[in-house]
Amino acid sequence: MSDADFDTTAPTAGTTTVTGETDEELRDAWTDYEADAAATFEVEDLSVWYGDDRALQDISMTIPEESVTALVGPSGCGKSTFLRCLNRMNDRISTARVEGSVELDGQEIYQDGVDLVELRKRVGQVFQRPNPFPKSIRDNVAYGPRKHGDVDTGLLARLTGSHEQGKEADLVEDCLRRAALWDEVKDRLDDNAVGLSGGQQQRLCIARCLSVDPDVILMDEPASALDPVATAKIEDLIADLAADYTVVIVTHNMQQAARISDQTAVFLTGGELVEYDDTDTIFEDPESQRVEDYVSGKFG
Amino acid sequence: MSAETHSRLVRSAATGLERAAAGVVGLGFAAVAVSWATVFQWLRIRDTVAGVAVVDWFGLALLTMGGSVLALGAASRAGLVDTAPSDAAGLVPGVVFGLLGVTTGFFVVADWVDAGAEAGLVGGLVLGGVALAVTVGTREDVGSTLVPGCLLVLLGGLVVADVWTVGWTFRPTWWSLTFSGDWTVPVTTSMASLLAVWSAGKAHGGFGTAGRQTGAFALVGMNAAAMLAVLGLVVAFVVDKGLVMLLEGAGLASGTLDLGVLALPWPEVPFVTNVTGSIFVDVPGVMPAVLGTVWLVVGAVLFAVPLGVGAAVFLSEYAERGRFTAVVEVATNGLWSTPSIVYGLFGFAFLLPRFASGASNVLSGQLVLGFMLLPLVLITSREAILAVPKAHRDASAALGVSKWQTIRSVVLPAAAPGIVTGVILGVGRIAGETAPILLTIRAANFPRSNPNVLGSFRFTAEPPFVANDALLQGASALPLQLYTTISAGQSPRPSEYTQAEFGWGVALVLLLVVLGFYAVGIATRLYFRRQITQ
Repeated sequence: MSDADFDTTAPTAGTTTVTGETDEELRDAWTDYEADAAATFEVEDLSVWYGDDRALQDISMTIPEESVTALVGPSGCGKSTFLRCLNRMNDRISTARVEGSVELDGQEIYQDGVDLVELRKRVGQVFQRPNPFPKSIRDNVAYGPRKHGDVDTGLLARLTGSHEQGKEADLVEDCLRRAALWDEVKDRLDDNAVGLSGGQQQRLCIARCLSVDPDVILMDEPASALDPVATAKIEDLIADLAADYTVVIVTHNMQQAARISDQTAVFLTGGELVEYDDTDTIFEDPESQRVEDYVSGKFG
Repeated sequence: MSAETHSRLVRSAATGLERAAAGVVGLGFAAVAVSWATVFQWLRIRDTVAGVAVVDWFGLALLTMGGSVLALGAASRAGLVDTAPSDAAGLVPGVVFGLLGVTTGFFVVADWVDAGAEAGLVGGLVLGGVALAVTVGTREDVGSTLVPGCLLVLLGGLVVADVWTVGWTFRPTWWSLTFSGDWTVPVTTSMASLLAVWSAGKAHGGFGTAGRQTGAFALVGMNAAAMLAVLGLVVAFVVDKGLVMLLEGAGLASGTLDLGVLALPWPEVPFVTNVTGSIFVDVPGVMPAVLGTVWLVVGAVLFAVPLGVGAAVFLSEYAERGRFTAVVEVATNGLWSTPSIVYGLFGFAFLLPRFASGASNVLSGQLVLGFMLLPLVLITSREAILAVPKAHRDASAALGVSKWQTIRSVVLPAAAPGIVTGVILGVGRIAGETAPILLTIRAANFPRSNPNVLGSFRFTAEPPFVANDALLQGASALPLQLYTTISAGQSPRPSEYTQAEFGWGVALVLLLVVLGFYAVGIATRLYFRRQITQ
């Protein structure tokens, strides 16, 4: 079924929930959803426009720390847009306009004086297609720390004797180990990263993201360009990362969301957040009829 | 497609058709090569080879190719060989063959029959119409062999029958041009051979889709070979003419390399290392011009590359696409298409009075060549920067790295091979430019000393605190040296070397220096490309 078919039955149908409540009543119910852990992100009435097109409609949700939050929904529902709001990558799109509030650990990130460098160091991102730099594996991982001055290995440092080759080597090894790539590349750190397979490249991108020591990792369909074996590796990796990091992942794949996430937010066409709850609840006992239809594969 | 037109799925061995067609293609290539060798007079058309005059060999080759092509087409039409022809050869070959028919008919009627231009025109139109009809109206195997085959047989027959041969001339009353058999026979042979190559190539593939592919491949391959041949011809010609002068007095170990404590034997090429106009050297050389060219190129690159790359970064990374970038684009293209003599005049009238009170100077030449290099560097750098995937920039931004650091560490290294390619192309152009430097740096016709640019830097008390007298004097450069040799009408030492000997030597050195710049550029590009791929 297409999105258009769905739209005609959507809000005007009056009673749209399993139990006969309206969307508005339902919304009050899940907006109060509180996860057990402390909140990393508090999102309040977030709306995004691209020119005159509204991509997100008054999203409010709380993303708890050290867990995996999945954002699912059909194409064009605004889940990637929402993800990019969390590290302000939407700023790079000249037509995008953001309203509302996003708090990271209690601090508003949409206010004057926010240091984007610091924000993006704390909120890292992994993209849909693996995008390693055309540099060596080592240079890819060490890129962020070098640019931020966390490791000093430049020519000047070498001349003045303050270079930190050992520190950088430790950092590279640590990040590659966390990204479950170390054993495959430890003997060829100086090879160009474009020679790795797609799955290895994506894990390298995760290692690169970890190198600046983030608190949050945003993943935009990180496995959609990969084969099933590489996808399984990435999924295992995400489960491991959730012990130390807050992971927010956009995915098209219902089974993937069910497998790896702790809580799931379902976006539907028009940029609405329809339901947000524990993953088990969303997949086994959703409140909204539309969500049940979507996660059970009746449309989308 | 009906079942009987299917050809075999597996071709195990070459069929007789394929062997015959390959033979015609090979003969065609050979005929093209030999006919051009004749045009360039490496092989004289009046000579005799194996008892037969060269011109008759052409005739025999044309007859053989024409007969074979006709036979291939006939065999295919009669179903003697396994082919899969389409319904017709198509409109494009039809039009081409029609035009060939018009030309042939015109010459045959107007000259051979000697019936005058009007009758020739009528005859040409009739024959052209027939050729068009035959090509378009018959099955492909006939349509693409009958007209070329007949044409080749006709031409070959005329040559062998001594109607059209050495000494044949055609002075049409209606055209002030003389056609002589000495060059029309080889030129026509090479063109007709291309036709035979195409035709036989199609037959080799069994006509149809595979045949078109083979025929097109043969013709396109000939194009690539012709391009290589042009380059090879130019280089070989210059080397042939200039090598004597270049090697004058040269020896592999006749010179000495003085290391202070010991002197080692060292190769010596006096024509390259000596100054030009001095009476104290055995062989007048071109070192002042070589150094002048090197300094001009170095100065132009130092001026244009940072400016061009910087402007390209600004335009592609920072500026919003809009009126301003459009204006810059127009200005860039305008700079690129400005004639070089105009640059020269600008340097002469604007730069010379400002740097050396109107006297020729190297600095002005460097700047003028830099102006010429600038647009190419800008255009190619911009393309190279825009070709770097946006994903790299996103990845860097998501790590919190600033835009400028991203440009420096990710975008420019990835764009470097493209930028270097632009610089190579530009340097190749400006190193050989004559007009701008003629007006800006020209000094003595035959300089007596080398420009000492590196050794002339000195500090001064007033701004700009650095002065370099060598940059403010005139100098020579290789294209300029060639020009002055031509305009002076004699070599620097007329008693020993002619103007032509010396001039060809200069031309050869110029060629070598430009190729040297190319080599440096290609090595640089390989280095940067290796950085981003290995």
